[in-house]
Amino acid sequence: MTNESNKDARRTGPKLPFFLPMIGFLILASFAATALFATLSGNRNPEQLPSVLIGKPVPDTPIPLLDDGLATLTLTDFAGKPLLVNFFASWCAPCRAEAPALAQLAKNVTIIGIAYKDKPADTNDFLNQFGNPFSAIGVDRDGRLGFTWGVYGVPENYLIGSDGTVLLRHAGPIDRRVLNEVLIPAIEGTK
Amino acid sequence: MIAEIGHFSLILAFVTSLVLSVVPLMGVARGNAAMMQLAVPATLVMAAGVLLAFAALVWAFITSDFSVALVASHSHSAKPIIYKISGTWGNHEGSLLLWIVILVGFAAILTQTARKMPIPLKTRTLAVQGIVSAAFLAFSLFTSNPFTRLSPAPLDGNGLNPVLQDPGLALHPPTLYVGYVGLSMAFSFAVAGLLEGRIDRAWAIYVRPWITAAWCALTIGIALGSWWAYYELGWGGWWFWDPVENASLMPWLAATALIHSVIAVAARGIFKSWTVLLAILAFSLSLVGTFIVRSGLLTSVHSFASDPARGVFILAILLLAIGIPLVLFAWRGPQLTNEGDFELISREFGLLVNNFLLTAATIVVLIGTFYPLCLEMVSGARITVGPPYFDATFNPIMGALVLAMAFGPVMAWRRGTLPALRLVANCTIIAALAALLVGLVLFTGISLAGLAGVGMTAWLGGGILADIFHRLKHVSKSEVGKRPVIQMSVWGMWCAHLGMVIFLLGALGNGLFASEVVVRAKPGDVINLAGNQITFVGVETRRGPNYVTSTAILDLRRGGQLLARLEPENRLYTAKMQATTEAAIRPGLRGDDYVVLGDGDTQMGYTLRLYHKPLVSWIWAGAGLMAVGGFLAAIGRALRPPPILEPDILT
Repeated sequence: MTNESNKDARRTGPKLPFFLPMIGFLILASFAATALFATLSGNRNPEQLPSVLIGKPVPDTPIPLLDDGLATLTLTDFAGKPLLVNFFASWCAPCRAEAPALAQLAKNVTIIGIAYKDKPADTNDFLNQFGNPFSAIGVDRDGRLGFTWGVYGVPENYLIGSDGTVLLRHAGPIDRRVLNEVLIPAIEGTK
Repeated sequence: MIAEIGHFSLILAFVTSLVLSVVPLMGVARGNAAMMQLAVPATLVMAAGVLLAFAALVWAFITSDFSVALVASHSHSAKPIIYKISGTWGNHEGSLLLWIVILVGFAAILTQTARKMPIPLKTRTLAVQGIVSAAFLAFSLFTSNPFTRLSPAPLDGNGLNPVLQDPGLALHPPTLYVGYVGLSMAFSFAVAGLLEGRIDRAWAIYVRPWITAAWCALTIGIALGSWWAYYELGWGGWWFWDPVENASLMPWLAATALIHSVIAVAARGIFKSWTVLLAILAFSLSLVGTFIVRSGLLTSVHSFASDPARGVFILAILLLAIGIPLVLFAWRGPQLTNEGDFELISREFGLLVNNFLLTAATIVVLIGTFYPLCLEMVSGARITVGPPYFDATFNPIMGALVLAMAFGPVMAWRRGTLPALRLVANCTIIAALAALLVGLVLFTGISLAGLAGVGMTAWLGGGILADIFHRLKHVSKSEVGKRPVIQMSVWGMWCAHLGMVIFLLGALGNGLFASEVVVRAKPGDVINLAGNQITFVGVETRRGPNYVTSTAILDLRRGGQLLARLEPENRLYTAKMQATTEAAIRPGLRGDDYVVLGDGDTQMGYTLRLYHKPLVSWIWAGAGLMAVGGFLAAIGRALRPPPILEPDILT
């Protein structure tokens, strides 16, 4: 390129499209910065999924039972003892993985299972294969109950205190660490 | 003492990098040759300092010097020697140092190669590389010093996370880093070109080997990571759309676009500002990929060394390293004028389509990765974005890319098509129709998306084979004896594109036809899966060098004939009582048999997860073939006589 064409090029003024990458980057960076400072100031823990239900009374919606489609169960009826509500499904692989953990927990706490978006026949097969740690099993065929609870995927567990308030939410399967470091201490704490 | 030498060399390298960042650039601006000449020795001193520091750290790990805090918290005397060495980069501080080693190493290689490269461009490129090095050396020294001493020294170390004690880990990060950091050279070239206000075909020819090398390493690195997740994590999957995986995929997509757009700059002197932007973005995405997961911003299964306090430093580096070049681009970009034009039916337009689709794919992954973070900041809601999003957005874009890929190579520069077009067009259509028919007849119940995938893969495979056939025939007819007409770089392109076909076959075979059972089995039980009979023999306890196992023994039979003995195990690493799952895999060309041992006991039975995964190994074979294609193209260009660099030679 000659000097003259260089001078021509220099005269080219700023063009809007060339600013777009910078603008996009600044928007993304400002989100990242906000999140980072929220994390630093302790307002945010990326590992925990908060729930709007925490500290509130457990929803008292009647839930159809698996064994008998006409009868229902209401979680408020279980007040007086801690309760673990487990959303599960036969189609969910991690639910299989947490079956042993639930079996162990059943010794410490009453567990209510909610079969989420699952066919009752499949649910029964699942229970026959992986064991039934539940004191009662409710059915949420269309996921409407899960919606009110704010379930975003199965398995999801809610611990409910003796007074009927939601204490804790754990999204994802219960592994050994969650079992020993989160759920068992929390259940012990309610007793 | 060794650790202090390492620490001192790192400080020396940092000071030198500051000199490299400032003096040569002033030299270019003032036309002062002495100041410009400083760039080469400064780069070499900086590289030597970093290399010495890294050697000192490796030495501390090999000799298990637990007075070094990093060694004490990440190593253990009872660890096999290879994992002591790989443990050096199995932690934040050490991997950062490895990252810097590659960064300065590449700058040092540039000083010794490309001897005919224009001095101002070379000087500026080295200086920009020096600025990036200075930022990361400061990050290492001030927030993540690997040489901090412990007093008193503990008797033994904390051990390396057992999941990371694996040959895959010994190789995956270094390869991935070579890829990430290789893109830093493209970045430095781009910024140097913007500083100069000029990008020409020489620029493209000198930057190309770096882009190709980085792309190859990135391809292998990502494939190794995926393979490691497949056999080590025991989930049976090979890609999870996890933020860390996305973070490595985004630079790969951008680098793939770059590798194509730089062809147009080198051959025709067009797409200049776009290529510069891509080079900046590819390395920016690499930076995001390496460091976002360490800042505690995003959650991931790879929660490896995340620390919000370091996040501030990382964010500052990212702001400067990405923000300043983008400002420079906004200012200088409009000056990079194109030297030629092209028509709708042309190779240029094909490359444009390629870049458009790859950029769209990158943006889709970027949105999927950062949307949860942005949404949380706006509304406080916590969500995760999973496979359904990527299936619905990423896959169709890739499908369009696959369709276009068959035709890009048979387009002519400027306008028109190559003679192979007709044959390629016929073959794509025939292959796709045949595959659709086979899919409909043989695989009943196949999903529409799956069927489309099968058709498109056949389309691409047919197109590439037709192109190869046509060109080989053409050569043998008319040009034998003159000179080999099919250049190595063309073979490289075919190889890489066929790698994509192989990869797609693997992904489709596994995605559409995998079968899985979960059973609770007692010794003696026989499980049927995909035509095989698997006998559960029992579980026994074994001892490894630093762990104990419960190992299940299963015999895989087909029609009574013993094919393999599978031994999945659960390991308990005794140093920190950590457990890992080791899947047992019988790999095969036609498919893998994959078994994972769950919990259980002899009375109750054991939970076993058994998978049959058709063609799954083709996924990594395809990625390997793509990388081979890249290497062929790079070697071919290196062997060819130096190009004539007058503009408009082709127009």
